[in-house]
Parts: sequence; structure tokens; C-alpha cells
Amino acid sequence: MKPIVELRQVSKEYPLGKLVVNALRDVEMTIATGEFTTIAGPSGSGKTTLLNLLGCIDVPTRGTVLVDGQSTSDLDDRALTHLRLHKLGFIFQSFNLISVLTLFQNVEFPLLLQGGMTKAERTQRVLEMVERVDLTPQLTQRPNELSGGQRQRVAIARALVTRPRIVLADEPTANLDSATGQTIIELMKEINQSDQTTFLFSTHDPRVMERADRVILLKDGRIASLGVESEASDSSGQGAELGNV
Amino acid sequence: MNRLRIFLIIAFRNLIQARRRTLLLSVAIAAVTMLLVLLMSLSQGVNDNLIRSATTLSAGHVNVSGFFKATIGDAAPILDDRATIRTIVEQNTPGLDYVIDRQRGWVSAITPSGALQTGLAGIDIDDELHFPRVVQLALESAYREGGQDVVLGDVNKLREPNTAVIFEGQARRLGVTVGDAITFRSQTYRGITNTVDATVVAVARDIGLLSNFTIFVPKQTVLELYQLSDKTTGGVLIYLKDIKKAEETMGHLRQVFEERGYDLMDHQPEPFFAKFNSVAGEDWTGQKIDMTTWEDEVSFLTWILTALDTISFFLITILAIIIAIGIMNTMWISVRERTRELGTVRAMGMTRRDVLLLFMLEATMLGAFASLVGGLFGAALASAISAATIPIPLEAVRAILLSDTLHLAVNIQHLVLSILAMTLVTGLSALWPSSRAARLQPVQAMQNT
Repeated sequence: MKPIVELRQVSKEYPLGKLVVNALRDVEMTIATGEFTTIAGPSGSGKTTLLNLLGCIDVPTRGTVLVDGQSTSDLDDRALTHLRLHKLGFIFQSFNLISVLTLFQNVEFPLLLQGGMTKAERTQRVLEMVERVDLTPQLTQRPNELSGGQRQRVAIARALVTRPRIVLADEPTANLDSATGQTIIELMKEINQSDQTTFLFSTHDPRVMERADRVILLKDGRIASLGVESEASDSSGQGAELGNV
Repeated sequence: MNRLRIFLIIAFRNLIQARRRTLLLSVAIAAVTMLLVLLMSLSQGVNDNLIRSATTLSAGHVNVSGFFKATIGDAAPILDDRATIRTIVEQNTPGLDYVIDRQRGWVSAITPSGALQTGLAGIDIDDELHFPRVVQLALESAYREGGQDVVLGDVNKLREPNTAVIFEGQARRLGVTVGDAITFRSQTYRGITNTVDATVVAVARDIGLLSNFTIFVPKQTVLELYQLSDKTTGGVLIYLKDIKKAEETMGHLRQVFEERGYDLMDHQPEPFFAKFNSVAGEDWTGQKIDMTTWEDEVSFLTWILTALDTISFFLITILAIIIAIGIMNTMWISVRERTRELGTVRAMGMTRRDVLLLFMLEATMLGAFASLVGGLFGAALASAISAATIPIPLEAVRAILLSDTLHLAVNIQHLVLSILAMTLVTGLSALWPSSRAARLQPVQAMQNT
């Protein structure tokens, strides 16, 4: 399968006073189109930094990040913004919905940023996505009127409404109870399988890892294990082991 | 367009969400806008008073007057051949409403109780359309100690010879009431001191500062005092349908008189009495026409408007700066509170320009709403104050505001300008915090807690 994301000798350093924190060191990895991959590792291992680099909201200190064949280091802010808008979808741990907008408006928002669609086309696309995450009755409600699971489903709908090539999710189930978290992962998996959208998400939850095609293990900013599909899919294998990390 | 709509929704709902902050800022912006409208209405009111008093007491919208010099050292403010000059004006003035002519003089007004220097306006009351309509008679109690709350006299008695209509301030200084006599003394243009007695037939309410400088008498009284022929005039006063065309009309009439062979003085934007010395020093004899607009005739009073506008400008500037700091601070708080949200929308693909627009819209919306409310409230308050005809107790203030009651005039253009200006100030005040918000890196904003 054609790679959608490639990292070549990527390092990311953050200054912390007089010190320099090496958040990522010489990371080398490839994600193929349509993969459902999780990034695992203890806190501070570099999961969020890796997702930020892949999500084009940060650039590496050294090395190259290629998203859909484009090196993010070569792009200016405008081009990076364009790339995020048209090729990437984001799901956040704290949902990060716009509190003053309704469910419908939150999902419609990325389409408005993209432009180029008629109101009817947008409405149809939004309604389809909302139906898919089973929130049609809550269309006019605002985020504070929804449960945590419902909010995360809105976030999924918002991330997917633009039909992105890659969806990045930073611990999408961390703020949900285990049953709701499982439902959310099942929903993401279902969309991944039906639309061939590439999903890349970080998690601590072993039950979530079990559902991934592949588990990439990070430790101290380095790849400890790139995992393979067969290992990750086997609940008694890598995924279960990583749960103890 | 749809994007703008959603930005407006976000801006509006964010303002509603932070309702206490929004309310406080709205009240401050509305208060400054209201003050701005009130000050501009006051300035407009004074301007209206100035026009009203000038065009009632001392000038037409355009004036054809002049000087006659029998010798080089003379400077008599009279024109010969009144009828011809008036006919030329009547036949050649576009947008003409009506024309009158008056005699002019500068006299000592003397009574047993006092004396004052004043201008004398010789009028034909049947010819004057504006004067009897505008001049309101004062209660006797306003100008005479122990006087009654009744209006005495009648302006129309100026038809009778040797009568006079004076103003309440003059009546107080001269110690006279209706029916009393005043002696006017002046030098004729032949250099002989002459006097004329006149009976006060009415005392009018003051029309600002200019009321101190004019007493109205029949034309014949001035002609007698200066021993002039009735073929002469002090000036032809032209009233136009649109006062704004005064300057243009004066230019046109200058050309008309020049074409008919009249000598014209260079245009000097001053009243006739300010030109005596300069004319007396000029090396010519005979007659020259001098043309002015109403503004020229009251140019010595325009400092009042300038002073009022300057004070207003400084006051409003200081208040606008305070408002701007308040807006900046509030928007900065708003940016800090919503940094995480900003990171999210930037990560989703919102451009820096859109972030800037979003915050600017929020501030501009607040400014537009608050200044609209403040502006309309200010206009309503100004109209109410004016309608209440509140008397001004201090004579000095009355003199400056050119009226004995508080007169505020709402000008729609000024109202719109005030609302737009305050909206603009509010919007621009948000520029710095908004651009800071727009410059935030998504990753930094996302990490903000």
C-alpha cells in the first residue's frame, strides 16, 4: 500500500530554560494509506509530539516529515494550514468543540473553512456524518448539552466531514468511560474499514490497542517497536503487553 | 459569505457568553458615544444659534454693502442708489428667497440710568419677513427689577417713527422698559454730532451675544440721525432658499456687479464695523461695494465654535483612549481564555487572517451595538433637553452659547459619524490582541491550559 505518512530521521527538541528536551530522536516510520494504527507509550514518551508533527501543527528540529508526499518543513504557514484543512482531520482528548456553536454548526465548520460548497451540499454532507455517528436527534444542541461520548462522536463527525486522507486522534478515549471509549473506537474502526481513511491515534488503553492494525511503541522519544499488523491484531500479543507499559 | 455568517454567530454568541464583560464595555462605549453626540449637538446648536442670530440681527445669507469716501480719510458704511442695487440683486440671484435692505449705524444709546455703544439697524418692518418671526418678546420681569411676568409692547410698532426695539440685556443696562425713551447720539458723515430720541416699543429676548450689539429702529430714524437721503442704504441683505449656497452666490453676484461697472472691494471675511480703519486708510474716494456672507459678518464669533469643538475633541479623545485600552484589555482576556479553542480551529485549518477577522468582528460587533444604542440615546436626550427649553442661568454661558436656553441640535450626519467613529475605535482597539491571537502557533495554543 502507498505510504501516506513518512518520517525520516525525525528529531524534535524543545528548549526548557537552559536545557534542551529531546522529545523525539531519529524517528523513522511509515504509515500506509488505510492503516488503523495506534501510537503507544508511557507519558512523556513523545506520542503527542509525534502526532503534532504528523498533523502539521509543528515542524521537526531535524529530519523530514512527509504527509501525502509533501515535506512539511518546506511549507509556510499558509500552505501548512491548507494541508491541514484539506487532508487531515483531528480528534482531541478533550473534544475541543466550539462551545458557542450547535452540533450541526460544529460539524459544518470545517466545510465552511474549506469553502466551495453550496449550502445544500454542506447540509447533506453534515447530516450524513451526523447520522453516521448516530446523533441526528441532537443536531441543534450545543456541546455543553451533550455527554462526553456524544461530544467525542461530534468531534469524529467534524474530523471526517471534509473526507480527509488521515485522521489523527490524541488519546480520543482518555476522557471517556471504558464502554463509551470502546464504542468510539469501534466507530472509528468502522469508518476506517468502510472509507479506507487512515487513522493514527495515541492511547494508553490496552483494549483500544487491541483494535488497532498496528501498534507503534515509543519510549524516551525513540521507536521501541514499530509493530506489525498480525501482532497488533492479536489480543494476546503486543497490544496486551503494551497495556502494562 | 457563509463563512462570515458563522464567524458572526461565533462572535455574537461569545459576546453573549461573556455577558457581564460585554455589558460593562457596552455601557462604557455607549456612554462615550452618547457624550460625543451630546457635544456635537451642543456645537450644532450653537452653530444654529449663530446662524439664527446672525441672519436675524446683522446679516443676510449674502450681503451687498459698501463704503462711501468723500475724502481719502473717510469711511462711511453707506451705498448710494439703493433701488438700483436692490433691483440688480433681485434679478440676478439664483435660489433667491427674499431681499431686504437696512440702514446701518454705530451709536451711543443713552438713558438717565445708563449708556452703551451699539449698532443701529434701520429697518422697514413690513419688508422684514424673518425678523418679526424670529424675535420673541421678553417678560418684563426678565429685564426690569420688580417687573411683571407679562410681555409688554409690540414689534410691529416699529412702523411708527422714532421707535426702537431693544433686547433684554440692553434694557437691563439702560434701565428702561417699554414706553421709555432712549437718546441715540452719533456723528453724521459730515462730522456733526447729532442725536435722535426714540421710544422703546418692545423688549426682545436675547439672541446670544449679538443681541448686545444691535438696536432696531425704523429706517427713517437712522437717516435722520446721519442726515442721509432715503436713496442710500447701509446694505442689501439677501436671503437664499439654501444657506449653503451663500459663498457660491456671493461669487456670482461679485461678477454681476463688476460687469455692470461697479467698483468692488477685495473680499475680506469680516463684519463691516471691523473694516472702518482699513477702509479709511485706503487711497481712494467714491463708492465701493463690499460683499460678505453671513459667516463673514459673524467671523468674530466663530472662536466659540472652534473652542467648543476643540474642547469636545480633547474630551472625546481622552475618553476614546480609555475605551480603547478597556477593549484591548478585554479582548486580550478573551484571547487568553480561548487560546485552546484558537489552537483547535487553527489545527482544523483556519487561517491567521480568519482568526484576526473573528476577533475583530467580535469587537466591532460590540462597538457597533453599543455605539448605536449610545448614539440614539444621546440623540433622544439632546432632543429632550432642547425641547425642555431649559434656561441658562449664567449670562457668560448665555453669551458663549448664543442663546438664553439650552439648545442642542441633532444632526443626522453627526449622529452617524459618531456611531461609525466609536465602532471604528472599538474595532481598531481589538487589532493588537487579535493579531496576537492570529500569530499564535497552533501547537502552542493547543498546549495552553
